[in-house]
Amino acid sequence: MIVCQYPGMLTSFLIFAAFAQTYTADVLPVLRKQCQGCHQPSVKQGNLDLTTFAGLAKGGNRGPAIPLLIDYVTGKRQPRMPLGAEPLPEEQIAALRRWIEAGGKDDSPAEAVPSSAPQLYRQLPLINALAYSPDGSLIAVSGYREVLLHKADGSGIAGRLAGQADRIQSILFTSDGKTLIAAGGAPARSGEVQVWDVASRKLLRAVEVSNDTVFGASLSPDGAKVAVGCADNSLRVIDVATGKEERKIPHHENWVMATVFGVNGKRLVSVSRDRAAKLTDSTNGQFIENVNLLRGELSAVARHPIRDFVVVGGEERVPYYYMMDRPRVMKIADDTTLIRKLEMQNGVILALAFSPDGKRIAVAGAADEVRLYDPETGDRTAALRGHKAGIYAVTFSPDSRQIATGGFDGSVRIYDAVSGALKTEFLPVPLERRASR
Amino acid sequence: MMLTFLLALAPLTAQETFLKDVMPILNKAGCTSGPCHGAAKGKNGFKLSLRGYDPEFDYEALLYDISGRRFNRADPARSLMLAKPTMQVPHGGAMRFDATSPYYKTILNWLSSGAPFGSPEKDKVVRLEVKPAELAYNGPGSSQTVTTVAHYGDGSTRDVTREANISSNDLDVAEVSETGVKALRTGEAALLVRYEGKFVTVPLTVLNPKAGFAWNALPQHNYIDRLIDAKLQRVKILPSPPATDEEFLRRVSLDLTGLSPTAKEIRDFLAEPGDARAKRSRLIDRLMQRPSYVDRWAVKWGDLLQNSRKYIGDKSTWGFREWIRDSIAMNKPYDQMVRELITSRGSAYENPAANYFRVTRDPKPSMEKTSQVFLGVRMVCAQCHDHPFEQWTQNQYYEMAAFFAAVGLKPGYETGDEVLYQRRDDYEIKHPKTGRPVAPKYLVASVGAPALSTEGDRREKLAAWMTSKTNPFFAKAIVNRVWSYFFGKGIIDPVDDIRASNPPSNEALLAALTKDFTDHGFDLKHLMRTIVNSRAYQASIATNEWNAGDRINFSHQSPRRLSAEQLMDSVEAATGSRPKFTEVPEDTLAQQLPDPHVGKEGFLDLFGRPQRESACECERRADLSLPQALNLVNGSDIAQAIADPKGRIAKLITEGASDRRMVEEMYLATLSRLPDAKEYDQAVTYLKGVEGRAGRAQDLMWALLNSKAFLFNR
Repeated sequence: MIVCQYPGMLTSFLIFAAFAQTYTADVLPVLRKQCQGCHQPSVKQGNLDLTTFAGLAKGGNRGPAIPLLIDYVTGKRQPRMPLGAEPLPEEQIAALRRWIEAGGKDDSPAEAVPSSAPQLYRQLPLINALAYSPDGSLIAVSGYREVLLHKADGSGIAGRLAGQADRIQSILFTSDGKTLIAAGGAPARSGEVQVWDVASRKLLRAVEVSNDTVFGASLSPDGAKVAVGCADNSLRVIDVATGKEERKIPHHENWVMATVFGVNGKRLVSVSRDRAAKLTDSTNGQFIENVNLLRGELSAVARHPIRDFVVVGGEERVPYYYMMDRPRVMKIADDTTLIRKLEMQNGVILALAFSPDGKRIAVAGAADEVRLYDPETGDRTAALRGHKAGIYAVTFSPDSRQIATGGFDGSVRIYDAVSGALKTEFLPVPLERRASR
Repeated sequence: MMLTFLLALAPLTAQETFLKDVMPILNKAGCTSGPCHGAAKGKNGFKLSLRGYDPEFDYEALLYDISGRRFNRADPARSLMLAKPTMQVPHGGAMRFDATSPYYKTILNWLSSGAPFGSPEKDKVVRLEVKPAELAYNGPGSSQTVTTVAHYGDGSTRDVTREANISSNDLDVAEVSETGVKALRTGEAALLVRYEGKFVTVPLTVLNPKAGFAWNALPQHNYIDRLIDAKLQRVKILPSPPATDEEFLRRVSLDLTGLSPTAKEIRDFLAEPGDARAKRSRLIDRLMQRPSYVDRWAVKWGDLLQNSRKYIGDKSTWGFREWIRDSIAMNKPYDQMVRELITSRGSAYENPAANYFRVTRDPKPSMEKTSQVFLGVRMVCAQCHDHPFEQWTQNQYYEMAAFFAAVGLKPGYETGDEVLYQRRDDYEIKHPKTGRPVAPKYLVASVGAPALSTEGDRREKLAAWMTSKTNPFFAKAIVNRVWSYFFGKGIIDPVDDIRASNPPSNEALLAALTKDFTDHGFDLKHLMRTIVNSRAYQASIATNEWNAGDRINFSHQSPRRLSAEQLMDSVEAATGSRPKFTEVPEDTLAQQLPDPHVGKEGFLDLFGRPQRESACECERRADLSLPQALNLVNGSDIAQAIADPKGRIAKLITEGASDRRMVEEMYLATLSRLPDAKEYDQAVTYLKGVEGRAGRAQDLMWALLNSKAFLFNR
């Protein structure tokens, strides 16, 4: 896209490249192929990130990396790099050396900004997030690099909020319905939290968070803070009004997949692939205790609307319903906070939702049906059928009477939350016919 | 709606499917390999099935995992599954292919057209065809190329040479590289060609390039020699003639009874008149009647059945030993012996065969042991995934394990006893993937196997299937195993790893032995007698210019290091010292010990006595290590035995034996032969004189015990 818009720049760039070594043409490809496997944000061997010029310039444990590069690849400094692999070919080393001798300049182009033109779809995007507006008039659906606002009855698109992030993993409305928060990112590339003004469809701010998509965002009850899970194992709290990252909480040992605040907003439950549901004091970031007994990897959490009870689920396929407060003195590895476990599902659990009236829990995941349960008894009350593959998003309407679902097959389906009957089904995005080959 | 939409997108060219087009790329690019995402726990949170044995699983992992993280249907080129292997984003597994490669285009096309899985009927490989089907080389040095064609369920074919995996089972004979298969030395090997769960073995022969081969017919003692000679003639190898009577006597005594012949036996045998072959046959029959024959084979079966007090306690170890010894002494038909083990029940004190299940208490290890010991099939890989080089699947692993599901053990009336009983509820084996009970099913169908039903003892049926003459593994496995005890190598080797990708070196020979064995009612003595009467067994270890390189065709005998027990008993017999084991009656020989608990961590363990931790033949080590050499040279075991004040040397000295007699006795006791003239002279010269004669005699004995001729069965 960029290239087409600025052909002149490309030409001059190529001419320049013929005479001198440049970072983008000569250095980055070598680093990408030979070094980035270990020196990347999620591994960061030697505390070094070679995926960006900034990371290279900043360096790692041994200081700025540019002056050290040649010594390491030639073996003058040990261990020789790339570790455990063949040494770099002579011409690559020579190119690196010439680039450094010429001053080691950065010529990375500015980040490509996607055009604001509406996204064209030839195939349906997967649906990862759904949310009803608090007045029940809109349903927000994740698209590709956008959030689509649909009329809640499925009659059409009411707005499109085009942003940077490839995937939108979570959509949240503030309780006044004025602000929409979308969180996601591009897998293994970048993470982002977007704050939108719903009325004007304008992006108020976008915050870059971590180097991967952020997962399972949740809003504090007062709407002031948003918590997200990250692939760098951290849980982060961001101020909605300023976009400032307030806290980076490091208690988990694997990706944090979902979060939820407690009723009074002072505590936070996060679930992770490390199998733990951890309770954190959101006012100071301190770890309080594990909510659950470790079993399988966890991917989803939902809280009762007015009580500090959470349901968690994941790899083990069984939803566990826990209270956040401990009735008795804690013992190691006890499970006294477990209220009940629900029946085993037919697939890994990926999404959970509590109805606003507190009377239903919705469980969805790799199986092609959503099941509803009565939290008081644990009985299944309905099974919602119609999806053709995994279901990644479930949400109840504010009046608790409807439930919207979406997932791999790309269709939004709306069911009656009592009977489980399918009420309507629609495609969230307009599809283009493919141009003839 | 979805469907019409996807159909509208279908391009005119053949549609890429996951099964036919993408899975082979994941395998070839190494994504599914053991150190990468094929590892049991995956890599960095992304798991694929090992070498792609489970395409459904891999399809779901790529498209569905973590809410479809790796798949971007709206913009397929932005999919993580393409960005990672091409290093557009950092990838711990480095660059697997670049964005201009055909692999990239295939995956992108597949994603762009809706990422269909494909049809298991049409898109799965049903057969591999390798051309040529057999490789022959006229000598080392040359290379040949091999073409692999996959045949699919819908009848279509595709050249998959680039993606197929080829390996050689003998890297000294042939090596595989990008350019072809290169012959390295004279001999035979098998190539294993694998692609998408199917495999073909391709026999490969590298003939001796030397001119002037002329077949020289040696006497053929029985069908073994006829079948071996047929093969040798084909691959231009000349067999070695029979060993001398002295060599044969020592070899066959050690092999059948575990003991070297005594001086008297040697003199008597050499003096025995008559035709050499008839004389050897008579000797064989005599040896097989000896109590030491029972000792020798009780060690082997004790190993294979893992008789050890570690698992079954002191008293049962002796009981199980007696059961094994009785079976050998009465030459119990092999099928009957195995049936008794597999179907055993009741008190282990009263029915020691039940100890079989006390060693491996759970269904899975019991099944693994049973298939490895009695069928020669290793199922262990298939517990977690389909076998990478074989037809065995994870389903079969659990179907076979289900035969043992109801085996229960509970304490008996007497302390230390256990009772094997049939469990009545909640015993079913569950498949790890589905969590559902698995019904028992025979590993392969065979004629006359009883129909399986839910009633009755499953083990009875399993035993009937296993021990049937038509079972394709049972008789073959034991015949091959017993053969290896007399040649140091199986016709299929390793002996307990029978699989299509590990072909026999002489199929006709193995088939004939198997048939002979079943025709004679699974008679182990008959089998051994046939083997040791063959010229092949009796052949010299000396080689000629045509068979020096042969290691698999039995054209000559190969020296085999004495086993730990043979070595210890031979040292004691040679030096005239007495065994000193605690906890067993006096003068118990090493080969009479009940289990590895006795004499633990001593000489026997150093020389590779197995701890009976596994039923694998490989647990007994036959290597030569530095600690062993040091023990023989410097160790107290040998030194004390030689210097035993009641030992052979002390006795000869006090008897006032002549130098000549001393030398003769020492040679007979160690190398089981008389010294030649030169050896006489050297030894007698060394012994001469009065001062320190005993010390010099001990030196001589020490030198003989450290000679290869003593340490090896040759």
